[in-house]
Amino acid sequence: MLNDKPDDATSDAARWAALIAAVAREKDREAFAALFTHFAPRIKTFMRRSGASEQSADELAQEALLAVWSKANLFDPNSAGASAWIFTIARNLRIDALRREKRTRTAGTDDIDLEFQVDDGPSPDAGLAAAQTESRVRSALATLPDDQLRVIELSFFDDRAHAEIAQTLQIPLGTVKSRLRLAMNRLRGLLGDFS
Amino acid sequence: MTIVHHPPDELLTAFAAGMLDLGQHIAVATHLTGCRHCRRVVHAMEHVGGGVLTALPATAMSPGALAAVETRLDGLAPAVATGLRKAATGITDVPGLPPFVRDYPSSSWKWIAPKVHLRPIRMPEASATRVFLLKSQPGTKMIEHTHTGFEMTCILTGSFAHAGGHFGPGDFDFGDGATDHEVMIDSSEDCICLVAMQGELKLNGIIGRLLQPLIRM
Repeated sequence: MLNDKPDDATSDAARWAALIAAVAREKDREAFAALFTHFAPRIKTFMRRSGASEQSADELAQEALLAVWSKANLFDPNSAGASAWIFTIARNLRIDALRREKRTRTAGTDDIDLEFQVDDGPSPDAGLAAAQTESRVRSALATLPDDQLRVIELSFFDDRAHAEIAQTLQIPLGTVKSRLRLAMNRLRGLLGDFS
Repeated sequence: MTIVHHPPDELLTAFAAGMLDLGQHIAVATHLTGCRHCRRVVHAMEHVGGGVLTALPATAMSPGALAAVETRLDGLAPAVATGLRKAATGITDVPGLPPFVRDYPSSSWKWIAPKVHLRPIRMPEASATRVFLLKSQPGTKMIEHTHTGFEMTCILTGSFAHAGGHFGPGDFDFGDGATDHEVMIDSSEDCICLVAMQGELKLNGIIGRLLQPLIRM
């Protein structure tokens, strides 16, 4: 949860990373079940809030965890935190599902993974352990004022433009943008290392 | 390469969140290919995405979902890293494009106006945003225009200037409907840009109105 103490956040992030490593190394089903129990219901919420039906949100959450199993060997704990890594899996599945809905192409998610590969070089995070980044991000989020946090959250799972976010929150568009900017600046300041 | 102009925060956030259509995604990805700073911002926003995901309330999975998934695990082969393929047939002669765009089938340059050539990017997905490469020779002065939608321009080679500043390789120029552009190519080499555009261009002035039917962008 966002209001966790930083220590809890760090130990959570490290625990999830260890579970993914166990899946990669030993095909550890207990570790997988623990990941499933925590993440699948949250990915389902993420998909529901992005407009997926109850059934397809459930299926997408299952697909996401299947991908966690088969991609665990690609998880690099030095590059991405566990929940950030699982977030990108869910994000790419959502893009894939939206495209299949529009029937524009029967793309596998591999294509979408490629679309997020923008760099030939090493990960941008070198120097700062990913689990550390992850816990710092979570602590940083926990200190954001509610109105800024709400704009950040809506930016992530609501398939709507900022103009519509403005409508939802009944605030002017300029306010959405300025809150997002404030939130980003604050995150930058708290994270320090990423800019 | 010193990058001065970056995409606005809300675009980088939307990229990390996976909310952009493919055309917009290509424009931001092109900037990211050359901009370590914005790559770090996106990476951090992915961590924010992880934080947001973890903080969401749980929605109960359907009964037996875990068991159903577990029976499918044995049949799954481990994933292979999606390595960078070297495309032989793609867009190989333009620097600064992200790897996945280099893999797209190539079209040829088309003349669209004196000293200006355009090369469409054929996307594998339908997208409300059109993407094309624009090549302008040194000294070209583009006709003043406004947009009905938005326009994202990534400079790949050369440079140009307009009222909003000077733009060189790696820079990102974001124009919305309000922008008035009179663009001057001020480099000694060709200026090649990747442009993602929604809406129509409106050329201003009598010459522009005469040319409008000829220039299909």
